[in-house]
Amino acid sequence: MTTQRQPGFGRILMRMGRVQPWRYGAALFLWTAIWTMPVLVGFITAHFFDELLAGIESSTVVFVVVATFAYAAGRSVAIFLGMRNHGSLLFRAGATIRRNLLVRIFEMPGAAAVEETPGEIVSRFRDDVEHIVEPFDISVDLTGALVSGTISFVIFWTIDPVITIAIAIPVLVVGIVSTQMGGVIRRYRRAAREATEAITGFLGETFAATQAVKVAGTEGPMLDRFMALNAVRKRMMVRDRTLTEVLHAVFRNTLNIGTGLILLLAAGRLNEGGSTGISLGEFALFVYLLHVVADASYFVGAFIARAKQGSVSVEKITRTMRGEPWTRAFEKTDLWLDSEPPAPELPTSDHPGFESLEVRGLSYTYPGSDNGISDVDLDIRRGEFVVVTGRIGSGKTTLLRTILGLLPADAGLVIWNGEAIDDPASALVPPNAAYTPQVPKLFSMSLRDNLDLGADVSDHLMNESIYIATMRHDVDLMPEGLETLVGPRGVRLSGGQIQRSASARMLTRDPRLLVLDDVSSALDVETEQILWNRLFRARSEVAALVVSHRHAALARADRVVVMEGGRVVAVGPAAELQESSEAFRAIWEGALSATTPG
Amino acid sequence: MIPVRAYFRLFKSYLRPYKRRAWLLAAVLSTTIGLQLANPQLIRVFIDRTLAGDPTSRLVPLAIGFMVIAFSHQLLLVWATYLAEQIGWSATNQLRAELTDHVLHLDMGYHKGTSPGELIERIDGDVTALSNFFSSMIIKVLGNGVLLVGVLVLVWLESWIVGAAIAAFTALTFLGLFRLHGVTVPWQKAIRATSAEMYGFIGEQVDGTEDIEANGATGFMLSRFDGIQRKWLPQIVLGWTGWAMMWSASMALYFLSLMMGFILGSWLFGVGTLTIGSVYLVFRYIEMAHWPIDEIREQLVDLQKAGASIDRVGDLLARESKIADDGKVQLGEGPLRLTFDAVTFSYDDEAGDETVLHEVSFDVAPGRVVGLLGRTGSGKSTMARLVTRLYEPQGGAVLVGGHPTWDIGLQNLRARVAMVTQDVQLFRASVRDNLTFFDDSISDERLMDVIQRLELDEWLASLPRGLDTMLESGSGGLSAGQAQLLAFTRVFLRDPGVVVLDEASSRLDPATEGLIEKAVDHLLENRTAILIAHRLATVARADDIVILEDGRIIEQGERAALMADEDSVFAHLLVAGMEEALA
Repeated sequence: MTTQRQPGFGRILMRMGRVQPWRYGAALFLWTAIWTMPVLVGFITAHFFDELLAGIESSTVVFVVVATFAYAAGRSVAIFLGMRNHGSLLFRAGATIRRNLLVRIFEMPGAAAVEETPGEIVSRFRDDVEHIVEPFDISVDLTGALVSGTISFVIFWTIDPVITIAIAIPVLVVGIVSTQMGGVIRRYRRAAREATEAITGFLGETFAATQAVKVAGTEGPMLDRFMALNAVRKRMMVRDRTLTEVLHAVFRNTLNIGTGLILLLAAGRLNEGGSTGISLGEFALFVYLLHVVADASYFVGAFIARAKQGSVSVEKITRTMRGEPWTRAFEKTDLWLDSEPPAPELPTSDHPGFESLEVRGLSYTYPGSDNGISDVDLDIRRGEFVVVTGRIGSGKTTLLRTILGLLPADAGLVIWNGEAIDDPASALVPPNAAYTPQVPKLFSMSLRDNLDLGADVSDHLMNESIYIATMRHDVDLMPEGLETLVGPRGVRLSGGQIQRSASARMLTRDPRLLVLDDVSSALDVETEQILWNRLFRARSEVAALVVSHRHAALARADRVVVMEGGRVVAVGPAAELQESSEAFRAIWEGALSATTPG
Repeated sequence: MIPVRAYFRLFKSYLRPYKRRAWLLAAVLSTTIGLQLANPQLIRVFIDRTLAGDPTSRLVPLAIGFMVIAFSHQLLLVWATYLAEQIGWSATNQLRAELTDHVLHLDMGYHKGTSPGELIERIDGDVTALSNFFSSMIIKVLGNGVLLVGVLVLVWLESWIVGAAIAAFTALTFLGLFRLHGVTVPWQKAIRATSAEMYGFIGEQVDGTEDIEANGATGFMLSRFDGIQRKWLPQIVLGWTGWAMMWSASMALYFLSLMMGFILGSWLFGVGTLTIGSVYLVFRYIEMAHWPIDEIREQLVDLQKAGASIDRVGDLLARESKIADDGKVQLGEGPLRLTFDAVTFSYDDEAGDETVLHEVSFDVAPGRVVGLLGRTGSGKSTMARLVTRLYEPQGGAVLVGGHPTWDIGLQNLRARVAMVTQDVQLFRASVRDNLTFFDDSISDERLMDVIQRLELDEWLASLPRGLDTMLESGSGGLSAGQAQLLAFTRVFLRDPGVVVLDEASSRLDPATEGLIEKAVDHLLENRTAILIAHRLATVARADDIVILEDGRIIEQGERAALMADEDSVFAHLLVAGMEEALA
């Protein structure tokens, strides 16, 4: 993978504009109008002052009042239209990035989808998206400001070229200086953002571990650490905000220096007739339009600063999308903002009727370590029960994940019904296969949604799945039954209930191959045994690939696969392995002793 | 309304330490406003002198003076920003710390219903909005407000009629703006609520990618994501419309002021009350009055958000933990007696209000080890949570060292009672911080001592940077077993008098479990312990046995005696396995 050069914000803008050309075009038009219209007020007041000195007529007063009213009314209408369009434009721009990012995260191998903490990911979706949308927002104002600024300079020129040049010089100098400061701004922003991420990350982890923190009585030290992180962020933030204010001040000073210059140059020439003279009205117009120019230069400065910040955020999002070009985040996609999306398409079986799954030479090594699995062979056929066992760290979970494509295999083949599959992650999903990890996760929605995951599951299948997963009793006791909201990450359920819900979830898709990581942490021996009994009674056709070190599972297995150091060291029925494999004996005896206290 | 009073009520104590700096800020800000008001006066003099035909030598100093004043004004404004940010972040950091502390001490019932993502949004999102509130409040709203008043006073001095008219329009506009503000606050609230829902959703999704992908649910989750965005869009467009309404209101004021300027200016100049320079001055001030109103209007949009944040932060601080920490008793050294006295308990939350424990009574003498057996859902883990007072029983009492848990200082109770559960939470921090739970007072020596006792030194040596190695969050790059060993180390470090091992070794395969057998023996030495297990082997080292079924004790006694008694449930268990015996 080559590291690509980060795009300038101009290219990012083009991408975002191209997704919504009409809305962006309308925004450019409306906001250019909104920012250019004030020039009219300059002309109206200039006219007023010239007439005033010449002895004003009441009809002139009526004219300027009506003209001003027309201006205010017209601009208000433009503002209403502009704002409503803007809300939609900016929201869709952000929504596109969020959706593309989420889709990308779902594309990546599930067990290694992101490298960041959940808190950092939330920050990607919230802060970084905002930081990208902000300069997109300001680009519209910037366009308007540039148009109005240019118009102002043309007017300046027609009034007095010398003063115009005198004003243009400080404006240019300021522009160049602030562009040069871009690097510093970028550095400060990044430091401030990283400090914020450290804080959200820490908070996220802390509150994911509240019970442990409480039980350990370690609230004090945790708080100290939190405050230290906060102090760092404060320093970064104050530095960043002060610099931003310095930049703003520099821009506003162009206005004041400009006004001062006009005063200097106009001294003695004000209201003199002839080609060198400047009327009071022209003087007023000059000073007024300088505000317009200052607004314009403000937007230039704001845009430069935000654009740098936006590029930093694009960089971060690109990193999160591992391996995808930055443009991926901005691809046009249906956001389903106007109508309900069609019911999610359930993956259909490419290989109807499961016969066998063969794994050949499968290898995976965790990046930056020697841990993983290497050269694993494994077979499972319809109706078989295969148990993977081994000590901690022997690679059992890694094996299941790599087979299912939840980790990207470094080498090896996964063969389904005799046909090699390229992308196990998309092939080994329901109705072909389903999986329950060792620590299953539920989601903040009803228990029913958690079980069927949007699929149209018949009552019969739902009830049977709940029954097999030994979940019936729990569901009956819940006041709202299947409609019970399980809370964020399913926290309103007990550990055992979560595990059983996840097992039921796997069964509702009626998959041909069940893959279960160790359930022993949440289910006792008996419950686990009931689960197997009911499963094979109800669904004799299915095959199950499970990790376990429990006697009940090992004894029932058609084949036991013993892992050690990421390799398969023995395969066979338990009875056979007891004779032939020392590694298996260690586990078997351990499992056996678990049922006979000694 | 601008939530100024609510804000300062919330913030008073946090701002107190920065009083002197706040005064300095006020002084700097006043000076900047004075300078800003002075400048148009110079232009007025300039115009009048020019038109009177004064020589250039009398005009140039005015022009230079104008530039000097303008420059100083900007300089001071930068200083004011620096000061305001300093104060704002210092004070809100205090608030963040207090909120975090407060939330950590809230009962588990609260935490069960609240996702970490939501809490991040409360503690950091909302409070940062408050920090911005402070700097924009002071610099923009207050600064511009004073500037506006100054402008009105100065215009009044030129011509009371013009001054009165503009003051009346300004008052009217503000009235209108506040009305509008009241209308738009609920709109902003809705936006924030959806925002919290969105980021809560995202956090959960990222945590569960494995479950989602392997069960083919990405389409379903995306459609839920789309649903949140679909709800969000109209709310956001409405929010922008509110902004447009406010802008239009200030446009109306601008028009009315200009109209007054044109009509009264031409009349008063005609009758000779005002010089041409003064008419120009009035127009300059009308422009100047326009900016602060614009600024204040823009800030109102942000302040609406802050209003909602203040409410939520206030609500959070007002929420009281169901577990009151007002116990005075300090527990002594050494092993402690542990007693369940007719304990009845129900979680009483959305998951149900069924009674989990029915009048459970048993007693553990200091230094004894009790094995607690029972099927899943029989209430074993609940008992562990009651001992550490994560929950409070509805009936009866849990006594530690002879005192009801609520009479014991909470910090003291949790220092003396340790619990290891199935889930080990790791932090993205160094191994050292993970072991000590960020407690810097624990020396490396002590840490190494414990690590050796747990025979973790081999694992430690395999780490690239020893104790300084950074772990990743979640599983931390550790296997479940290694994480479990790490959790044991945490307990060892605290030297508690009571230890509750809740299925602590359930994720260890038997071979690895053997590795820490000795360590556990050592841990139980001279300590009172409850071993919660659904594996019989785990309770082999127990002195006594308690068997729980559906929240009731069906048998308790000395292990040896129960083994010897053929009719005991325990003996049946040993023979037949748990299912038959407890079915």
